[in-house]
Amino acid sequence: MTATQPATGHTGSGAPPVRDHSAKRTWVGQSIRRVEDPKFLLGQGGYIADRITPGTLHAAVLRSPFAHARIGRIETAAALAAPGVHAVITGREAAELCDPMPDFGPDPAKHTWRCLAAEKVRYVGEGVAVVVADSRYLAEDALELIEVEYEPLPAVTDPERALAAGSPLVHEALESNCAYERSFDFGDVDGDFAGADVVVRDRLRWHRSGGQPLETVGAIAEYDQGTGSFTIDTNTLSFTSYLFMAAGTLKVPVNKLDIRPVPAGGSFGSKLFANKPAVIAGMCARKTGRRVAYLEDRSDNIANCDHHGSDRVYDVELAMMRDGTMRSLKIDVVDDYGAYIQFGVGHHGNALAQVVGPYTIGSVRYRVRAALTNKNQQGAYRGFGSEVNNWMLEQMVDKAARELGLDPVAVRRMNFIRDFPHFIPTGNVYDSGDYERVLDHALELARYDHWRAEQRRLREEEGRCIGIGVITAQERSVFSATEFWFWFDEPGAPVTSTPESVSLKVDATGGITAILYSCAFWGNSPETMVAQLVAEEFDCSPYDVSIVYHGSRDGLPATGPGGSRTTVMLAGAVEGASAKIKEKARRAAAHLLEIGPDDLEWADGGFRVRGDPERKKTLGEIAIMLHLFKHSFPEDMESGLDASKVFDHPYTTMPSADRKDLGVFYPFVGHACHVPVVEVDLETGAVTFLNYAAVHDCGTLVNPRSLAGHIVGGTAQGIGTALYEEFVYDEDGQLLSSSFMDYLIPTAMEVPELTIGHVETPSPYTPHGIKGGGEGGRMMAPAAINAAVNDALAPLGVRLTELPMTPERILAALRAAGPASDSAG
Amino acid sequence: MKPPPFAYAAPDTLEEAVGLLTEHAEAEPRVLAGGQSLIPLMNFRLAKPGYLVDLRNVAGLSGIRRDGDVLVIGAMTRLAEVERSSEVAVAAPLVTEAVGLVAHAPVRNSGTVGGSLAHADPAAELPAVALALDAELVAAGPGGTRVIPAAEFFTGPYSTALAADEILTEIRLPVWPGGHAFTEFSRVHANFAVVAVAALVELDGDGDGAQVRRAALALAGVAPTPVRATAAERALAGAPADAGTIRAAADAAATGLSPAGDLHASPETRRGLARTYLRRGIELAVARARNER
Amino acid sequence: MAPDTRTISLTVNGQPHVAQVEPRRLLVDFLREDLGLPGTHIGCEHGVCGTCTVLLNGASIRSCITLAVQADGASVDTVEGLAQGGELHPLQDEFSAKQGLQCGYCTPGMLMRAREILAGNPDPSPDQVREAIASNLCRCTGYQFITEAVISAAARMRAAKEGVAP
Repeated sequence: MTATQPATGHTGSGAPPVRDHSAKRTWVGQSIRRVEDPKFLLGQGGYIADRITPGTLHAAVLRSPFAHARIGRIETAAALAAPGVHAVITGREAAELCDPMPDFGPDPAKHTWRCLAAEKVRYVGEGVAVVVADSRYLAEDALELIEVEYEPLPAVTDPERALAAGSPLVHEALESNCAYERSFDFGDVDGDFAGADVVVRDRLRWHRSGGQPLETVGAIAEYDQGTGSFTIDTNTLSFTSYLFMAAGTLKVPVNKLDIRPVPAGGSFGSKLFANKPAVIAGMCARKTGRRVAYLEDRSDNIANCDHHGSDRVYDVELAMMRDGTMRSLKIDVVDDYGAYIQFGVGHHGNALAQVVGPYTIGSVRYRVRAALTNKNQQGAYRGFGSEVNNWMLEQMVDKAARELGLDPVAVRRMNFIRDFPHFIPTGNVYDSGDYERVLDHALELARYDHWRAEQRRLREEEGRCIGIGVITAQERSVFSATEFWFWFDEPGAPVTSTPESVSLKVDATGGITAILYSCAFWGNSPETMVAQLVAEEFDCSPYDVSIVYHGSRDGLPATGPGGSRTTVMLAGAVEGASAKIKEKARRAAAHLLEIGPDDLEWADGGFRVRGDPERKKTLGEIAIMLHLFKHSFPEDMESGLDASKVFDHPYTTMPSADRKDLGVFYPFVGHACHVPVVEVDLETGAVTFLNYAAVHDCGTLVNPRSLAGHIVGGTAQGIGTALYEEFVYDEDGQLLSSSFMDYLIPTAMEVPELTIGHVETPSPYTPHGIKGGGEGGRMMAPAAINAAVNDALAPLGVRLTELPMTPERILAALRAAGPASDSAG
Repeated sequence: MKPPPFAYAAPDTLEEAVGLLTEHAEAEPRVLAGGQSLIPLMNFRLAKPGYLVDLRNVAGLSGIRRDGDVLVIGAMTRLAEVERSSEVAVAAPLVTEAVGLVAHAPVRNSGTVGGSLAHADPAAELPAVALALDAELVAAGPGGTRVIPAAEFFTGPYSTALAADEILTEIRLPVWPGGHAFTEFSRVHANFAVVAVAALVELDGDGDGAQVRRAALALAGVAPTPVRATAAERALAGAPADAGTIRAAADAAATGLSPAGDLHASPETRRGLARTYLRRGIELAVARARNER
Repeated sequence: MAPDTRTISLTVNGQPHVAQVEPRRLLVDFLREDLGLPGTHIGCEHGVCGTCTVLLNGASIRSCITLAVQADGASVDTVEGLAQGGELHPLQDEFSAKQGLQCGYCTPGMLMRAREILAGNPDPSPDQVREAIASNLCRCTGYQFITEAVISAAARMRAAKEGVAP
């Protein structure tokens, strides 16, 4: 594929103009202290649980102990009579009070998802009733007084068995546990396979883990009976443009619902459009006529967060030439979505955005089957399904290298894409990159040659089992709306908007306030990003920019964090709003200086006359005139100095009708190389890190330290996914890892010190050349760690193909490999 | 995850505490020491005592003292105090090493020796230590005081020989100054042990000719209670303190185990870990015993 | 029937308090709601994550598995007491300087634990800091910048004690 547009004649925004990034930058690129920090350091973060006012009631949810059961009678009288209880709402009552939850799945009418289960529970932990009481303590006391008749049904917990005939059905109306199935062909797959020297095959299993931020989801709702309006404070947001769906759930007109963002204690995807607590709180507020808080506790959240990660079985074939050239990929993936499927198979759209990785693979077959089982549903987890593809592809590349007797680094290098922009077989574009540079830098930082020598020496001299992983993979950013619907030939709603908005107000003293819509704070530093971007535009200090978050009802269209879109989209919105402000300020300054607007240039925080720099007006001088001295300006000039920009996705093209080309839907693609060195204890199956180097290229960085922090944090989560974290369900659908004692989050001792390198290949299409990078660490680490473990175990003929690589799985693999690998000796 | 309601008292004397347990027997009372095991269970509502007797104000229940060949530790002594104690480090360094592996430092600040023993988690460190050292646990009840040998104290998972109205007051540990090792395998740092081994050896003679005079080996996480590996102990006693003997003893001990499986480890893996940690533990104990001489 | 309550007296951040609490009231809820100190956060409510860490008589404890009645007579320190006279504590300042926080939710517990660590060992190595903070989970940072922040703060605190510029 070459750096040209595919000749398909599609509509959509097309490639934006290529930008010039030669301007010197002052604030973008500085690792300044975050503007958000002070309140958090002082313990004044203002998280949702901090906003309980006197008289607020508390809700608690009764959860099903069965994975699959019909709900019979529910006795609530005793609970209702318990001290401090104001209301008890069962799932059946909730189904009258509320419509189903917003659902982007393939067939919401048939896999209907409600805030509480009405007729049937479909996973352990699904809510069946809610109690509202004076305190959470009293609400939980009352939960114990509710009697529920359950008629248990057989549970299905294995996705392949769920797809087989005769499996218990999670949703009878679907008549199948297959919520979606389709096979896509991009390019000439059969031809490329026919012409290949070798086909490398494997079966790989990635078990579900999840974001599990330290703060759970919570909402505090009020219902104004007079106006019929809801006001809900919640730490979940995003998709503001789609929040009208939540109003539908609460059965109010859209302009009678205001959802207001509050800082969130982490998300990693799990607070993305997580509106169930908001709906429950709202429903309870309307029922009781009081302000009601519903704050999930950890038990609520682990079993019922609706944001479990990908849970996949892959059958893959990679067609290769003997010299190491990669030709084609056939991917057959079953994804266990759990009992509902709120985001459809969007996670596979994320995979398709970068399905061939950084390699010049010419064709791809992608077959996806979404299986429903009796587990909590999938949602979003950092990577949103693309990290799984990275892992799968990198395992295949390593396997191919081994089978062909080639060096794994050399195989990667020889297949790298080198010309940009590059269109991959699915139709998406990689806007820019320099993969060789990233690889070379990573190998150097990792002291790769030294560790290869150490690996040999330690094996020979001490019998130690050391492994080195080298993976090179993509980190796409900024998704398009087409990803929601290109799965269907005749989509019901072929939406094309994923905007982000910013309003800028310059006050009478020249101080700037930026208003964000739906761009909730999740730890992702949106305020610092905006402050630096605004400072860059207006030559002020980032600490002098005031940031305000706006609620949904009377806010501008916005989509919020997700798919590493925040910084790029905020940059576009800030750029747009700043341009409007400067345009008006220029006209005003021209009028005040009695000169033509084109004779002015922006410099040092104001407009000055070209060639006569002493004749100037600062932004503050212009602003005060505009605010207070209307008559000093032409008639058509309104008072004030403020502007908004609704920034739409700058580069989206439509899929072809036959879906052989999905168009451009995730164009700003970063890249990284991770090189961990691990030691495997053959007697215990424990994996420890001896070294870890990571180099990322996310284009121009706004705040390099901030991005480095995300890389380390994302890598730590990737370590969890690779070695420790799993939502384990037994055959009856009981969640065995239902607390932090069994759902194992890495401590500081499980995460090594990382050596981090940055490469910046700017995007030609975005402000300053920024690309998103918040997810990158987790998108690389599982692949890299699996590669390292396999490198360690290769001399024993053992290869792990299942994550997490727990001690049990490693020891079982060693036992299966027989006496050659017998650890006890 | 808020605890259910309960009646509560924080009496000033042991007598009063015992009396409250007897008086309120129908409320299924529990003793509150540090609460590090009990309160999480109550937050999950897996434990719902109707009455909580808090020992925080009862004098005389904490402290560490040496009484001849016995180390006496009061039941309410905080684990952090035991960890820091030079008295303990000299008399029974196995205890020091084991306590350092109990959860994290903040939990050890609140958690107590008595609480850990009475909670009797099959994977816990201190019960295995008590068993290895043939400790005596002293309990106070309405009928007075009685001494319970460690071998009789642990009766099942989270179950001890203590009656509902008895309170553990102190533990008496025969000293064992050298030749110790407490090792365990946990999945993440300071998480509960999947398998833990307490190993104690005493050697006769020096260098290559050194023999094991006696050994005490206890395991946690492999059975409903901590267990002594008596067959392995017998195999070691009088045998040369060399790698072959140690390996054979570890194999013998592990083969006899029938551990349960869970999401963290299958029975086979637990057996393998037991064998590995027995071997590593005994080797370390022997190495330390040698350095003493 | 009104629930049974106890009177407790304790000092929090140097301020004496006398309060009526139900025996089952968790210390973390007492601090957050009864005393209006929401800086201490709830993460797991079963004593694993350390988000709720406060100091009780100078020693770190998990306030989600401590009853308020267990703090009777004690001196408790929370994050709200760290900054003095409008000035951030060196630990707070270094957390910001090193970007040792992202979402900020684990931060108060981490700061209190760090304070205890440095009180016991004013000159720790990075490895010692890393092992000591393993008691507190952080989901955002991966611990690296937290470790750097604690090391930097330790240097500043040592210098301040000796009256020398760091």
